[in-house]
Amino acid sequence: MAGVVDEQADAPPEDLLFRRRVQPLAVLKELWQARELARTLAERELRARYKQTFLGFAWAVITPVMLMIVFTLFFDKVANIDTGGAPYPLFSYVGLLPWTFFSSSVSSASQSLVSNMSLLNKVYCPREVFPMGSILVAGLDTVIATGVLGLLFAVTQYAPRITSVYVPILLAVQLCFTLGVALLAAIATVYIRDLRQSLPMFLQLGLFATPVAFGLEEIPASLRPLYAVLNPLGPVIDGYRDTVLLGQAPDWGLLGLGAASSLVLLLGGYTLFKRLETGIADVA
Amino acid sequence: MLPEGSIAASHLWKRFRADKRHRVLREQVAKVSDRLRGRRRGWRWALRDVDLHVEPGEAVGLMGPNGSGKSTLLKILTRVMYPYAGRLEVSGRVGALIEVRAGIHPQLTGRENAFLYGSLLGLNRRQVQQRFDEIVAFAQLEDAIDRQTKFYSSGMQMRLGFSVAAFLEPDILLVDEILAVGDSSFQQRCLERMSAALAEGVSLVFVSHDLAAIEAVTTRGVLLDQGRVRMDGPVRDVLNHYRQSVEEVAELQTVESVVKLVDALVAGSDGRTVRTQEEALISLTLDSPGQHAGSICLGLSEGTATPIVLLRFDANLPPGPTEVRCRLPRLPLPRGRYYLWVAFVRRRAELLPWHPAAHFDVIGPDLDSAPLGIMRLSPVHVDAHWELGRS
Repeated sequence: MAGVVDEQADAPPEDLLFRRRVQPLAVLKELWQARELARTLAERELRARYKQTFLGFAWAVITPVMLMIVFTLFFDKVANIDTGGAPYPLFSYVGLLPWTFFSSSVSSASQSLVSNMSLLNKVYCPREVFPMGSILVAGLDTVIATGVLGLLFAVTQYAPRITSVYVPILLAVQLCFTLGVALLAAIATVYIRDLRQSLPMFLQLGLFATPVAFGLEEIPASLRPLYAVLNPLGPVIDGYRDTVLLGQAPDWGLLGLGAASSLVLLLGGYTLFKRLETGIADVA
Repeated sequence: MLPEGSIAASHLWKRFRADKRHRVLREQVAKVSDRLRGRRRGWRWALRDVDLHVEPGEAVGLMGPNGSGKSTLLKILTRVMYPYAGRLEVSGRVGALIEVRAGIHPQLTGRENAFLYGSLLGLNRRQVQQRFDEIVAFAQLEDAIDRQTKFYSSGMQMRLGFSVAAFLEPDILLVDEILAVGDSSFQQRCLERMSAALAEGVSLVFVSHDLAAIEAVTTRGVLLDQGRVRMDGPVRDVLNHYRQSVEEVAELQTVESVVKLVDALVAGSDGRTVRTQEEALISLTLDSPGQHAGSICLGLSEGTATPIVLLRFDANLPPGPTEVRCRLPRLPLPRGRYYLWVAFVRRRAELLPWHPAAHFDVIGPDLDSAPLGIMRLSPVHVDAHWELGRS
């Protein structure tokens, strides 16, 4: 028979305290092993949506198209925006695609941990697969919505330019930034539940703080570098318009600033996420 | 590196906020203002310096009163929760049944849920597919597997959850009080499945308040109390210790009643030792304020759970003290500690409420256990005479 433990000190010794160490290689390895899970989670979200809603995948198209129509009716007629020669519906839709991707990634990522609490309390897995699953879903929606872009080109009799080959670079910056913000939004919502209510409002404001309905030129030239750092979606969207619609190279200076700031945000956000994920079960 | 299926946890500490509220903005503000006023907010220790080492293939029963830290420890072993301090190494795939329906998505079908849970355990599609038929057969959901789980009854959801966790070949199975749901035939099959998993070399950590189930499934017991390991050893020893400590707390309540129980005693024929399959005498002294007709009810229970034996005798109590004697010619109880429960009732009225009134120890042989230990221990000992002959 084993001995009975007697009362001991009332706190653990300092050297035993649990400290989270974020080792990039280990994190990436674990994430790679959980790729199947990220896919399954995205699939689950899609299936659930497909079963619950009448229009299913059509919603992926409806939201950006509606906004495009609204922008075309109001901004184009009232504000007289300089599109550099491209038809305004194309101009705004090219901006709306990355914006919709960003905003639906962030808003569903922010719910992804909170609404899966029961799962999080049961099984271990790298927690970032939940926001990443949300991004996968938003990404698929964006791919579907991009189909409409082809239709718009046909309707407006306007052809995409050869400089579209720069798109993957812009896409990389866009993904970096979106993932960084999504991770931060997901973990922050766990600790500060008020975000659940307030995030939609911030995203609404973001739509108008980002050159979606208007061009980057509306911002004074002297403030543009600072703007590119604060909102990397600005130079990214501007870059899409330059390359796909106007046949120019992106503004490398601004894009570089945006890329650097996105990368810092992603690394910082990911590290913070990994540190804070240890407390998720305590808060739930 | 530890061998697959082992757990090495040493000096685990875990604390929670003493006043458990969600960390919403309002609370953050309150925290800051508390700190400005120099007030420190309290923490409650859920685990203090807990050690748990499990070898591959070992079956450990975790017991203890509510709030002793069992579930917290299990969550830390699943790596869902992180300790405040300590070292923890868990090697191998962990299948956990911690919350019955947790993780089952209502919008998805049973099939989709099985695959989802499989990928949570780190299996790919093909691996789940290989075991899929077994899972469905065990959960008895052949007809319902392609229906959305929101149309499942809670029993069906539990069966699905258990089957998936048990058949996806974990190296370590953590089970927390799941047998409370599900009908008794499924409970029995769960116990069998856990024993089969053990035979395959899976390690098991089993948390339950059903001490009989712990005794049937596990070989080693760990008793937690107020976040500390009070005892760690062979399951029988720990169970006995735990039962005694429970008794000390719940010791022989005196209750408010019309009819008073003055004295209660169980003794053997020699007036002291109670022995299996020998005569036992129960004697009570009841004090009634007036003439009362009703039934004297007696019960014998193991621990403080359901009675094994119930006896009832209609009696007319005169005013003043009455001595009641009940003789059991052959007591069918095996060795152990038992409770005597007493009540005096008249139709719906409890003149003396049903309560444990005395405890006694029975001396006798141990019960034989069932082959392979797949059944719960039976509560009674029946005298038997065996013969083997040529037919």
